[in-house]
Amino acid sequence: MSAVNVVTRELERLEGLWEDGLSDAYRSYLEAVSEFESADQPRLALAAALIEVGIRLQGLGGRAAAAPTLLMGDLCLARSSRLLADAAPHSVQVAFARAIEEMSVAAASERPAPQIRNLLVRAFEAR
Amino acid sequence: MVGKRLRFETDNPTEFVDITDRLRDEVQRAGLWIGRLHIQSLHTTLGIAINENEPLLLRDFEALLERLAPVGAGYQHDDFARRFDIAADEPENGHAHCRQLLLTGFATLLVEDGELVLGRWQSVFAVELDGPRQRQLAIQLDGEFAQAQRRHRKDSSENLVELELSRQLLVDPEPVSAPMRRLVEAGGKRLRPRLVQLTAGIGPRTEPLRAAALAAAVELLHNATLIHDDYVDESTHRRGRPTVAAAEGPERAVAVGDYYFAKATRLIAEIGNRSVTSTIAEALEAICASQIDDVALRGAFPGDHDSYLRVVRGKTAALFAAACASGAQLSEASPEIIDALRRYGDLVGVAFQMADDMVDFSPSSGKPVGLDIRQRVLSLPLIYAAEDREVGPEVRRLLAGALGDAEVGRVAELVASSGALERVKGEAQALVDAAVQELETIELDGLRPILISLARSAVDRNA
Repeated sequence: MSAVNVVTRELERLEGLWEDGLSDAYRSYLEAVSEFESADQPRLALAAALIEVGIRLQGLGGRAAAAPTLLMGDLCLARSSRLLADAAPHSVQVAFARAIEEMSVAAASERPAPQIRNLLVRAFEAR
Repeated sequence: MVGKRLRFETDNPTEFVDITDRLRDEVQRAGLWIGRLHIQSLHTTLGIAINENEPLLLRDFEALLERLAPVGAGYQHDDFARRFDIAADEPENGHAHCRQLLLTGFATLLVEDGELVLGRWQSVFAVELDGPRQRQLAIQLDGEFAQAQRRHRKDSSENLVELELSRQLLVDPEPVSAPMRRLVEAGGKRLRPRLVQLTAGIGPRTEPLRAAALAAAVELLHNATLIHDDYVDESTHRRGRPTVAAAEGPERAVAVGDYYFAKATRLIAEIGNRSVTSTIAEALEAICASQIDDVALRGAFPGDHDSYLRVVRGKTAALFAAACASGAQLSEASPEIIDALRRYGDLVGVAFQMADDMVDFSPSSGKPVGLDIRQRVLSLPLIYAAEDREVGPEVRRLLAGALGDAEVGRVAELVASSGALERVKGEAQALVDAAVQELETIELDGLRPILISLARSAVDRNA
């Protein structure tokens, strides 16, 4: 299945986000996943992009989003989790979870959050 | 402790009555799992012996007794002229009393794994020495009974989950762990972790610690979704305590929910079973998608039966189904068993939500009546009442307007009078019956009664 088809299928209910930063985020992670199996690369890059966009939608570390937007953010995180379960090695799944934990603790502690993109790119190195 | 009398009749003056099978039956009937069975003769001429049930050997014993204490050998006990208070039917049985002295009047037998502990050739005899007569033995069974054993196992496994939850919360940073600890410690039914633990005992690979880790992660995930839910629903209380959003603000609620979403998925990934990880991840996705549908449907409140089922299947039943399937996957159960348990969990989950809907209309539930109405939460009794030919128009009119105390009270009255609650109850029961049916086709290694009971308790909120 081509990368376009994979991404299109995984965007169900999240189509509007593609033009709202998700496509840029996706492209930025493609380089970080170049060492993975080529069939897994689109799903892994999309998983990282969904986390980045998801926590932005939720307002993590800033002002909490309104209910419908928060739920869209939740769906982004959940879909990312499923994509990682499908395509990522166990070590990368753990590293991604730790990245979100780190962001969440910073937000709950009202401390400045680290750059999510840096955290996620590093998480790919855990393979 | 169980006490009983074992009654029997003898046919001969001396007779070895094999009571082994009757004792085995008593152990089984009482459900004694590990312990002791005590037997005691209630007669002075009835002995007890443990030996081999071989007919020629029994004749040897009889001959031995005759040699050692022959009948009519001039026993003083038989000289009635020298005794007081003799009954009219007093027999000459000095020999029988003396023979009893050579045997014993009581014995203790060990029970292990629900079975009498006896050697290959050992049988238990009541030895009649002065028959024929009506006889009785007193028996007592003490130790750990199967029910207690099951309860003990249940308690132990539940304790493991509670310990695992505490352990995980202990290592988390305070800003996220404190709100989650309050929520976890406030209770909850723990149905999902229980389902994980039960189903994790079904397949050939049973590992209680891994099962407890998965069960605790599933509970944390469930609570993480509740924290976001409460913010979305603007709920002020859950389990009798202020919600995280109400107590600490929505920003903290978002962060705590995200932290435990991530932590739970990490704990599950660390278990290292790809099927389990996928099952839970798919459920989580279904939950989040259904929550979006749920909020969207509030515009068409109270909605219809099909929309209700679609939302509830994702929002509630998906995690029940995943809990059942993932436990079975962890134990490496067969695909047929995993699929049947997934269907069982789905049906129980929907039934559970229907029962939960009914609680909103019960003045004895301990919760304020009509909270779901006020918050415009999807609720099957409300859907049925709104569809009702008699009360429906008034219900729909009230729900379309502002919902103050008077309006909420009136809607609750109309729901109760419409028969909607009975209809939902019947539907939930039917789902539980269907869930039980799913269990009929698979081998569950003795867990069927517990899963049936758990399904029934999911809809019986008085249980």
